[in-house]
Amino acid sequence: MTVETTPKYTRLELCHRFVSSVRHSVELGIDVIDAQESGVRAQMPWQERLVGNPDTGVLHGGAVFAFLDQVGGLAAAVRIYPAFEITPTIDFRLDHLRAPAAKAAIICWAECYRLTEHVAFVRVTAYEKGKENDPIATGLATYMRMKIPSGKYFNKVST
Amino acid sequence: MSEALKTLIAACRNGEQPYQALVERVPYAQFLGIGIEARGEELSFVLPKADTNMGNPTLPALHGGAVAGFMEQAALIFLLLKMGEPRLPKTIDFTIDYLRAGLLRDTFAECRVTRLGRRVGNVHIEAWQTRRDEPIAIARAHFLLSEEGG
Repeated sequence: MTVETTPKYTRLELCHRFVSSVRHSVELGIDVIDAQESGVRAQMPWQERLVGNPDTGVLHGGAVFAFLDQVGGLAAAVRIYPAFEITPTIDFRLDHLRAPAAKAAIICWAECYRLTEHVAFVRVTAYEKGKENDPIATGLATYMRMKIPSGKYFNKVST
Repeated sequence: MSEALKTLIAACRNGEQPYQALVERVPYAQFLGIGIEARGEELSFVLPKADTNMGNPTLPALHGGAVAGFMEQAALIFLLLKMGEPRLPKTIDFTIDYLRAGLLRDTFAECRVTRLGRRVGNVHIEAWQTRRDEPIAIARAHFLLSEEGG
């Protein structure tokens, strides 16, 4: 059952609280820049330890995947807002259009283009900072809606 | 592909170097903590339980992205070793189905090359925790097998 109450936090605050509760996303350095009903924009800085090819310094596809999967989940969360639900990934397809430049921060824009009672349909686009029209990767994902009270989730998390 | 990597692959095949050396040269694989166990040339991949790979803190569960990154890296190494004359695989696409919650415990991956063409390799990957026949995720990926400078 979803409890509709006056939200105690904005969409952006919800995203920040959520990301800070997820240890792996904190390790990836994910920072949510903007969160609207229409979608979420977030950044992941380049980190030496996330490199996949030590000869070129290019980020590992897996690190890009984890980043996009997280932001895709947030795109579902901002559509579900002000209610709060956990949205585990059902499936995710990621196309690597080209290799990102070494040492470049990656930006992800994710939007939930269809929300049904049980499933959120999401598409994501990733690009290097300042190169929005030349994406490095695009993805398509579905997330399952699991309705739990937000207090039950966040109260267990020290933020 | 660098000469250093070619030399390393040859050394692993000769038994002069452990296969683990292949993940030690990849910073992201070390970040996740990936391990490789080899029986002859049969490899199994393990993602040991680590708090840094945690997603949902209430279960607690592994981050789906960490599981996917682990599976992609396993497929990359598996494919690299399947080729007689190794070429560096580059991920074209990666598609994953999550079947069960990945709990905060050791995770294993197994790979199968579905098709190894001249330019593209197709790999199927399964990840499991408690039982091999109860995978937590299955994935398939296409890799571009580039020539030098490609």
